[in-house]
Amino acid sequence: MTTPVSSAETGHSPSAVTQRPRRRRSPKWVAIAFVAPLLVYLLVLYAYPLVENVTMSLHRFDRGSFVRGGAPFVGLDIYREVVSDPRFWRVVSQTATFTVVSILFQYVIGLALAVFFHGGQFRLSAALRGMFLVPWLLPVIVSGTVWQWMMNPDSGVLNSFLGVFGIDPVWWLNADNALMSVTIANIWLGIPFNLVILYSGLQNVPTDLYEAASLDGASSWQQFWRITMPLLRPVSVITVLLGLVYTLKVVDIIWIMTTGAGSSQTLATWSYGMAFGKGASTVIRYSQASAVGTILLLVALAFGVVYLVMQRRRED
Amino acid sequence: MRRAPWKTPVAVVLTAVMLFPIYWMVNVSLTNRASIRRGDLIPIDFTLDHYGVVLSQQLPYLATSVIIGIGTVLLTLAIAAPAAFGLAKLPFPGGRTLSFILIVAQMVPAVVMSLGFYSIYNRIGLLNTVPGLILADSTIAVPFAVMLLTAFMAGIPRELIEAAEIDGASTWRVFSAIVVPISRNSMITASLFAFLWSWSDFLFASTLNREGGLLRPITMGIYNYIGAQNQEWGPMMATAVVASIPAAVLLVVAQKYVSAGVTAGAVKD
Amino acid sequence: MTKSPGRRVSAGVALAACMALAACTTPQPAAPSASGEATKGTTTADIKFWDPYPQRTDGSDWDKLVKACAPQGSTITRTSAPQSDLFNQLTTAVKEGNAPDIVVLDNPMMPEAVSSGLVATAKQANIDTTGVDANLMGPGIVNGEAYGVPFGSNALGLYYNVDLLKKAGVDPASITSWDALNAAIGKVAAAGGKGITFSGVTGEEGVFQFLPWFWGAGANLNDISSDQSVSAGQLISDWIGKGWAPKSAVTDNQSAAWDLFLTGKYGFAENGSWFASAAAQAKFKIGVLAIPSKAGGVAPVPTGGEFAVAPVQAKDADNHYANAAAVIKCLTDGDAAMKTNETLGYLSAKADVRAAQVKANPVWEPWVKSVEGAQGRTTELGAKYVEVSSQLSEAIQGALNAAGDANAVKSAFAAAAGK
Repeated sequence: MTTPVSSAETGHSPSAVTQRPRRRRSPKWVAIAFVAPLLVYLLVLYAYPLVENVTMSLHRFDRGSFVRGGAPFVGLDIYREVVSDPRFWRVVSQTATFTVVSILFQYVIGLALAVFFHGGQFRLSAALRGMFLVPWLLPVIVSGTVWQWMMNPDSGVLNSFLGVFGIDPVWWLNADNALMSVTIANIWLGIPFNLVILYSGLQNVPTDLYEAASLDGASSWQQFWRITMPLLRPVSVITVLLGLVYTLKVVDIIWIMTTGAGSSQTLATWSYGMAFGKGASTVIRYSQASAVGTILLLVALAFGVVYLVMQRRRED
Repeated sequence: MRRAPWKTPVAVVLTAVMLFPIYWMVNVSLTNRASIRRGDLIPIDFTLDHYGVVLSQQLPYLATSVIIGIGTVLLTLAIAAPAAFGLAKLPFPGGRTLSFILIVAQMVPAVVMSLGFYSIYNRIGLLNTVPGLILADSTIAVPFAVMLLTAFMAGIPRELIEAAEIDGASTWRVFSAIVVPISRNSMITASLFAFLWSWSDFLFASTLNREGGLLRPITMGIYNYIGAQNQEWGPMMATAVVASIPAAVLLVVAQKYVSAGVTAGAVKD
Repeated sequence: MTKSPGRRVSAGVALAACMALAACTTPQPAAPSASGEATKGTTTADIKFWDPYPQRTDGSDWDKLVKACAPQGSTITRTSAPQSDLFNQLTTAVKEGNAPDIVVLDNPMMPEAVSSGLVATAKQANIDTTGVDANLMGPGIVNGEAYGVPFGSNALGLYYNVDLLKKAGVDPASITSWDALNAAIGKVAAAGGKGITFSGVTGEEGVFQFLPWFWGAGANLNDISSDQSVSAGQLISDWIGKGWAPKSAVTDNQSAAWDLFLTGKYGFAENGSWFASAAAQAKFKIGVLAIPSKAGGVAPVPTGGEFAVAPVQAKDADNHYANAAAVIKCLTDGDAAMKTNETLGYLSAKADVRAAQVKANPVWEPWVKSVEGAQGRTTELGAKYVEVSSQLSEAIQGALNAAGDANAVKSAFAAAAGK
């Protein structure tokens, strides 16, 4: 970013010397005052529920003891039970598949669309780009239901469409295919987010770099890989990280389409079902839900640490 | 910028594919209940009844959603903007730790948060109130907004700020008179995310504002159509359509600012 | 570089402190007392009423009926939520000490509500339970004590498309066993229609729909992997496999199954009496049959409907129970019983009121036998039903996904029972 005041600064240089000690007038306490509302906010609104959640996972709760108190402290027993549940590793792998595939496609499609909209002006580009964000506005119950209907094996639009190409109808929402189906819907939901952020990242790549490169005879493909991608890296990393964090937490879209049945059960939906007694299990398992929730949190935390290590390594 | 007029039809096709589920939603909203599961591509069994029902029942909920959305935006900016300034430009100790905490904060599942909030709200009497919901919805947006604004403000040239300080401006004045106006684009972007996230929030609304009567957001209003054994998809889809219109308009209008504002500072990373 | 190990240590300490705090924090000792007597209290100005009928919005008949039951000098605030949400909300509310005065709770949730200490006895809340049929009252009686009272019941039946059956040459009166039903569906399918819609969604709703087949095969909830139980699973699995039932049954709830039937393409729909008046007004003629059992005769259906209960209160229990007593009395006493049930679309839980309903509205006629023969889900198992229900739900999902494969159905039931 060019600095429009550089000339003004040289004009002020004699007084700048006497003014330098004055800069320390922004002492630490001013900084803290600015950040204080955020700190209080985080402490009250995030720390408390988090502690509650971990507390719950260390005691054996059922509906009765939830109401009346007196749940016994059982240490890490609940975690042991959850991890040794025959379903646990299957759910973990389903979560991993769901997350990785979602992020991959959301990012690639978002990037492709961003590049498409960015390179070259064309009519309606701003309006169409805005319309791409409309899926975001819809209450998930609506978009989830619409996807569920579109994937109806007997009369759904998707199978009719496949039928045009002579492909047999797919039973999208049975136990085996459920994971694939909810992933598709989730990718659809995530494209707008990626599009917005990557598009603005592209906007900040200086065009003269491209001009210089094409003067040197680089093809658009080479320009993309050698200029765009590296400069887009910080934006991409943040987009993928946030996407990861958000996708790990996704419950709504899966719940509405399949209530987490079959292969579409992820750690998040499992925790949700157990916490509220919904889905296949009408039995409320507060402690187990909290344990799974905490495990989910730890997984996300691991990725956060990876991100920080990557950040640190680039700066060193 | 080169012109690429061939892109227009391609873009239209891509947008149409992307928005097909939304077309389906409109399709269902105009179809009579008996034919909804038929899978017709166009609303053959046409009716405007569902919209009539929606317009007579849902408008108060829509208004509440708008109020909550605006409130969330204001609260988010009020907390995030000063904090971002403090993190980006002022010598705040432990800035890295705080950034890490912000990422972690976004990982806490909403289910966990809403149960925790219920106890707190119950004790301080914020249950079933609009301000309470605004506070809860802001937790969805604040960490992200702080990250976004910090990245942008880090890119504001130091000289700009120094010049103002030399002229005798207090830190608050530097913030309000210089930094905020310059950050307009990214603040608008953060506002957009905050508005959209609070607009589509269901979990907090259903846990914390159950008994709010007409002062509940549209995501709850839609649940009027979901009974124990009976769901009315027509009015539900019609509600979604009606609810999307103001937000869609907002999106298209704000696009201009969003594209310029999101990561202007991030390239410096 | 010196900063990084220090920072990691501090993060680690913070995490450890968090966990230690969590471990040492005893969960809030919330102990709402179960004491209090309606007769000792007086009604208050604000009465909170919760029910699971969100589709009955402000200004609807039900809403007006409830609010008209406010005692002199009081107003009723009514909120609704879907059933499992309502139960969870009640749980949190009782824990936090701000429970409503009256809650209308789905009947299979009663034993768990009682064992979790969420509801007061009918005696405490001065609720009159005389005259209610034994089978309908059953779910609300735990350890010999009655909690709350049901307004009425709904029941499951077999709706059929009159014209489609006529076209296929099927006589509805002949459908009295599974074989007859399968033959009839086969004939309808051969004549160009589709077979039967039902709901197999995960959770209690799918189990509710499965129970007439389950009990009709002679199975018992104590053993869900018995041969009879598997045969019921095989029945619905075959329907999917032969294309007689839509594959979306795996995710359809009862309303969605009804929507499919309304398209007019299906010959049969297993659904509830709450659609009886909608059926009378449909575009094509719809008849109703009792669900047949395997060998022949009418299959027992699960008791439907909800109980009106008074939740346990932390303070002012006497007054809250007095509120509950007044409102529930107003909704169930004498002539009010008929009005309440007609508004809700239920058949009354009391035989005499039921008879009056049938006389006034012949649409109810085919349902009476089902309601009278209905079986409570929790009557034998009590609070253990919830666990059995979730096992059965998994078995049903497995059977539907198997689409007719007999081995898969058998192992689905065995696996579900084994869990």
